Amino acid sequence: MASEELFYATIRDIGSRLRRRAISPVELTRAHLERIEQLDPKLHAFVTVTADRALADAKAAETALGRGDISSPLLGIPLGYKDIYATRGILTTGGSALLANWIPDEDSTCVARLQRAGAVMLGKLITHEFAFGIQFPGHRYLAARNPWDLQRMPGGSSSGSGAALAAGMAFGALGSDTGGSIRGPASLCGIAGLKPTYGRCSRSGVLTLSWTLDHTGPMARTVEDCAYLLQALAGYDATDPASSREPVPDYVAPLGRGVRGLRVGVPREYFFEGIDPEVEKGFEQALATLRQLGASVEDVQIPSIQSAGAFMAIMLTEAFAYHERDLREHPELFGEMLRERLLAGGLITGSEYVQAQRLRSRLQADMNTVLRRVDVLATPTSPKPAPTFTAVYDPEYGFPRGNTGPFNMTGLPSLAVPCGFTAEGLPISIQLTGRAFDETTVLRVGHTYEQATDWHKRHPAL
Amino acid sequence: MTLEELRDRMKAARVEIAENRLEVVRRLLTDALRPIHAMDSRAHRTLEPAVTFDTGRSRGDHGQ
Repeated sequence: MASEELFYATIRDIGSRLRRRAISPVELTRAHLERIEQLDPKLHAFVTVTADRALADAKAAETALGRGDISSPLLGIPLGYKDIYATRGILTTGGSALLANWIPDEDSTCVARLQRAGAVMLGKLITHEFAFGIQFPGHRYLAARNPWDLQRMPGGSSSGSGAALAAGMAFGALGSDTGGSIRGPASLCGIAGLKPTYGRCSRSGVLTLSWTLDHTGPMARTVEDCAYLLQALAGYDATDPASSREPVPDYVAPLGRGVRGLRVGVPREYFFEGIDPEVEKGFEQALATLRQLGASVEDVQIPSIQSAGAFMAIMLTEAFAYHERDLREHPELFGEMLRERLLAGGLITGSEYVQAQRLRSRLQADMNTVLRRVDVLATPTSPKPAPTFTAVYDPEYGFPRGNTGPFNMTGLPSLAVPCGFTAEGLPISIQLTGRAFDETTVLRVGHTYEQATDWHKRHPAL
Repeated sequence: MTLEELRDRMKAARVEIAENRLEVVRRLLTDALRPIHAMDSRAHRTLEPAVTFDTGRSRGDHGQ
C-alpha cells in the first residue's frame, strides 16, 4: 500500500509528479484501486468500481506522457463520478432500483470532458436515490458513511463523492447540486465543492431532479483542485438547453491574487437560524482570517431572503413532474422516503409553483443588488455538523432547511471550503457566493482563505 | 395547511400517502408553501416567472 501522503496529494502535486515521471499513471491507479478495495467495504462510497476501465485510461495516459503530452493538468489523474452521470457502457443507477440495470449508450457531457482531458475513471460514486432520497436500511444500495465518523452521514446527495474524497480514494469527483448536494457533502466531509453558475457546466446526460435548480460541478480536497476540474468542465454545450455561451476564463491563474480590497458581505438573516454554536464560532473565525488577509467584511441585508423557503416548492413540483409516470406505474421501485417526498410535489398547485418562481425572481434581483456592493457573500455552508444515521433514520426527522438552497434559487456560483472542526472532530465549512459567472472571484477568495489555514490538510483516521 | 386540506389535495391529485406519514408531509408542504402563502401578489410589480441569468447585469469590477 502506498503512503497516505500520496492519496492526499493535490491535483497540482500529483500532476507534477506524473509529468516528471516520478510516478506512473498505472502505479497511481493501481494504488487507488487497492485503497478502494481496502476502505470502501466500510465507507460504501462506490456503487461500481471500474478497475479495467481505470487501468486502460491509466495506460493511455502513460502513453500520452511518454510522447511528451503535458497539455492537460488532469492527464492520468484518478477521479470518481457521481452515479447520476451517464457513463457509456457502464452501469448508471442513480441510486435507484428503477435503473438497477441501466447501461447508457453515451457519456454525459461532463464525464466526456473530463475523460477527454485525460482523467482516469475509477468508478461510479453512490448518490442518494435520484439525488433526493436517503438510502434507509433495507434499500437496494447501502448509504455512504462519513469518513470522519462512520456513524454519521457524509451529507448528500453527492454522498459517495464526499466520502471518497475525504478518504483519499480519488483526487476529484463530479457532484450535482439542486439544493446543496455538492456543498452539503463538501461541508460535512471537510473538502471543497463548487456549485458553478446555472448554465456554466452542462447537465446533459445527468439524471434530472429539478430542471430549473439542477447544477453540475466539481468536488475535490482543495479549492485549486476544484478550479482545475472546473476548467475542463465549463463551457457551452448545445445538448443542454440551459447551457450558457458565456466565455470561459482561466480559473487557475488568478487564484494567487489574494483578497486585499475585496468586499465580503455577510447576510445575518436566515443563514444563522438554528445554527450550532461551534459552527458559528468557526465561521466567525474564518471571517476574522479574511479580514486579516485584507478583505473588508460587512453585514448586508437581502430583503426577500425569507422567501428562499419557496425553493422546496419548486424542487418538489419539478421532481414530481419528472418522476410522475414511474411513481404511478412502479411505486414499489422507489424508496419509501423518496416516494413520499416526490408525491408531496404532486400536491402543490400550478398557481403555487408560479408564485414560487415569482418569489425567486425577486430574491434573485435582491441578491444581485447586494452583489453590486460586495464581491462575495459569506455564510456558514451547513448550520450543523454531520448528523448521525440514527437521527436521520428517525421517521420524524423531516427535511431540515439548509443554507445552500437560496443559491440554487438564484443560480449564483457558490463554493464550500473547510473552516474548522467541532470538538468532536467534525468538519465545519464556509460558503462563498459570487456574481453570476464570476467563479473566478469565488475561487480566489476560497483559495486565499484555504492557503492561510490548515483545515484542508487534516484527514480522517481510517 | 391542515390535515384535512392535505387530504383534499391528495384526492384531487390522485395521490396516496400512508396515513402515518401524513403529518410529516403536512409539515414539509407547510414549510415549502409558507413564503408563497405569505405573498400578496398584488403588492408586487409584475414579474415574469422565468428566471434568467444575465451576466452583464450583475458583474462588477472584480469580475475577472
